[in-house]
Amino acid sequence: MKKSIVRASVLMLVGSVFLVAGGYNAQAEKDRKALVQYMEKKFSDPAKNKAMFFPYATDEDINKHLKKGVKFEEFRLGSYAIDKGGRDQYEEIKEMPPYEDNIDAGEELYKKYAFFKKCFPDPAIAGEYPKFDDKSGKVVTLTRAINQCLVANGEKPWKMTKGKIADLEAYFAAKSAEAGKKVNIQINSKAAADAYERGKKEYYSQRGYLKLSCANCHVQGSGNRVRREYLSPLLGHTTHFPVYRLKWQGLGTLERRIKGCEKNQGENPHKPSSDWTAEMLYFMSYMSNGLPVDGPDVRR
Amino acid sequence: MNSIKKIATTLGLGLALTAAATAGDAMKMVDEAAKLDVKKVCDVKANGAAKVLAVAEKYNPAAVELGVEFKRLGIRNSVYIKGLKEAVKAKKPEVTLKYKAKGKEKKKTFKTDYAAWRACTFAVRALQQVKEADKTYRLAIPGDGFKF
Repeated sequence: MKKSIVRASVLMLVGSVFLVAGGYNAQAEKDRKALVQYMEKKFSDPAKNKAMFFPYATDEDINKHLKKGVKFEEFRLGSYAIDKGGRDQYEEIKEMPPYEDNIDAGEELYKKYAFFKKCFPDPAIAGEYPKFDDKSGKVVTLTRAINQCLVANGEKPWKMTKGKIADLEAYFAAKSAEAGKKVNIQINSKAAADAYERGKKEYYSQRGYLKLSCANCHVQGSGNRVRREYLSPLLGHTTHFPVYRLKWQGLGTLERRIKGCEKNQGENPHKPSSDWTAEMLYFMSYMSNGLPVDGPDVRR
Repeated sequence: MNSIKKIATTLGLGLALTAAATAGDAMKMVDEAAKLDVKKVCDVKANGAAKVLAVAEKYNPAAVELGVEFKRLGIRNSVYIKGLKEAVKAKKPEVTLKYKAKGKEKKKTFKTDYAAWRACTFAVRALQQVKEADKTYRLAIPGDGFKF
């Protein structure tokens, strides 16, 4: 009798531990599934859904420019998943991608600094970052992880927005895409879930003199046109970084892109090294969980 | 050795307490700013540029502290305030702001009253938005407050 009581309580204890451990990402998973559902519904038939999702769009915008029936995996292409004209131009540019030299430069850096092999034995890691480090209580983006590795080995940290760091990330992203890796962001503790929630709150908070949230453009506003650009959806935003932007005439990291978005909102951007940026990227990357890593890539 | 440890611990604790106190102060300013009528407190005609600038000077540091300071066309609100101080004191009708954009030194001239109004509204609204976001951000989340 005693034995069975002990067994039952041990089983209950183990079960509850598993439940709690598995539950840290419960809210994030709920958010992600709702976002996927929203995007798939929105772009299933833009003409039919005009009143609900595109009230200010012209019929020409919808019928000529927006794609129909966009499915989950296609969202890895950002705005080119939904913009017909943009997609054609994108496919032309992809025939001779402008970032190939950056991948080679990244590979050279990986070989030149031998300690990178110790920090990142498998270079196909682009889909695993940002990670939450329970020891420091901070989110570690890939950019932060590279700089941490450099500093730990007596080197100065690199600029977090472009240059060498973007090249190395391009190599990691190319290796990840080659290996068929998918975005796989983990939330394994209460502190990690809290960091995710902070990032989510900032993403959906209206800010700056234009009083815009990131979501105004990239959730509710996705697929709507600003001048001649169709706003890209949050789903799939982080899968293809670092990107070669025609506007930049070069490669840039996610941190660089976020800084640009904040400027557009009308506020003084946070530093790329800030916890704010890292937590924002943690939330954004989680939203793309399950999508294939598709970087480096090219964007207008 | 022990005394070094003690000093380090005290310093660390001191720094942590200072940081916590500063964040607490900034949040107090948010609560205070949330109660203001921005059109009234930033009305240059009714209050004068000096008073309006004083409002900007009072609230903008909290916006900087919380990472919500406004920036328009490359000019941070702190730059407006810094440039305005001298112009308002000397009662100059125009103010020339010097700022850096993309690594280059630039300058732009504004009417003093207009710049004072902008600095004030930018400082107050930045903090009011923090308070508003607490109530509104979930309304935009699909599957939470945003129904589709």
